[in-house]
Amino acid sequence: MSEYQLLLQRYDPEHDNEPRQQRFTVQGEHTTSVLDALLYVQQQLDPTLGLRWSCRMAICGSCGIMVNGIPKLGCKTFLRDYHAEILIEPLAHFAVEKDLIVDMTQFLAHLSAVKPYLINDYSGTQPHKQTPAQLAKYQQFSNCINCGLCYSACPQFGLNPEFLGPAAITLAQRYNLDSRDNGKAARMPQLNAKNGAWGCTFVGFCSDVCPKQLDPAAAVNQAKVESAKDFIISMFKP
Amino acid sequence: MSTPVSARKPYQPKLGRSWWLKHNYYRLYMLREATVLPLLFFLGCLLYGLYCLTQGAAHWQSFQLFMQQGWVIALNLLAFAASLFHAKTFFALFPRVMPLAPAWLMISGQWLATLLVAAGLLLLFGGWL
Repeated sequence: MSEYQLLLQRYDPEHDNEPRQQRFTVQGEHTTSVLDALLYVQQQLDPTLGLRWSCRMAICGSCGIMVNGIPKLGCKTFLRDYHAEILIEPLAHFAVEKDLIVDMTQFLAHLSAVKPYLINDYSGTQPHKQTPAQLAKYQQFSNCINCGLCYSACPQFGLNPEFLGPAAITLAQRYNLDSRDNGKAARMPQLNAKNGAWGCTFVGFCSDVCPKQLDPAAAVNQAKVESAKDFIISMFKP
Repeated sequence: MSTPVSARKPYQPKLGRSWWLKHNYYRLYMLREATVLPLLFFLGCLLYGLYCLTQGAAHWQSFQLFMQQGWVIALNLLAFAASLFHAKTFFALFPRVMPLAPAWLMISGQWLATLLVAAGLLLLFGGWL
């Protein structure tokens, strides 16, 4: 067992006007995740600590936090990889509701804006088949768990919250690449817009922090290629 | 009965102008974007050279003297290094944007094409090869 100092950002909307920091000492062994440590703090040291979590296995995407300034899933980050003091803050670029809980309304609005579902006329009862090659085209981009880490890594979203952002554009690209989908025309106006794919300057940090290795930066920049093609094709249409 | 008052008071953090100093990844990104600055100087030299060429021998010689100055050579070497660094980042990003072939093949193909074009230009204008 080793001892770690957690420097937590606290914010109580009923008493604070801005966030403050509070130090907690926790014990950690080889398998202690940052989420385990936060739950220990909440259950043993200070029950007023607010945080989100659910699955503890990097599936639900709820426990996103900033660990030493880098967006991470608390459950997939281990104390053993850090030295004595660890700074833990809520996800960057989002409004803080309380302690480590952020308001993700804007993120969810951006996700739904790109119509992230299959759009087609298919109404048969037979399975809608797909070849492995057709699946491979979008499979990587379909692994998103909507944790929002990429939005905290994206300075363009931090500077302009109207920017659709990495996960939403990746999701649009995921459905546009799906052979069962005919909804591309409905999604392109969102991607073509000022706050769509062109708001990205390929900083690329989103891909670095993605806990599912989706490479959202690649998806966003592939969407730029699609947007350019869409523009050229539209010039030849009456 | 009074209407309940919401206890919500979200704190919206602001991203200041120095955001890119916060993290190494951002600093590297800004360095990549800043490679255009020494390239602007190189382009200025190129345009000045073309202008001098149209103005006759005396101007052309003064341009050559200008280019031989230590600080001009240093800035142009910086522009060369910057463009190589930019090329390295660009070549690495390209296969992710247009995944036409395995990434390693596309990256080495781009470097090979750069070398061939550079060698061709040297042969054409420098007569060194």
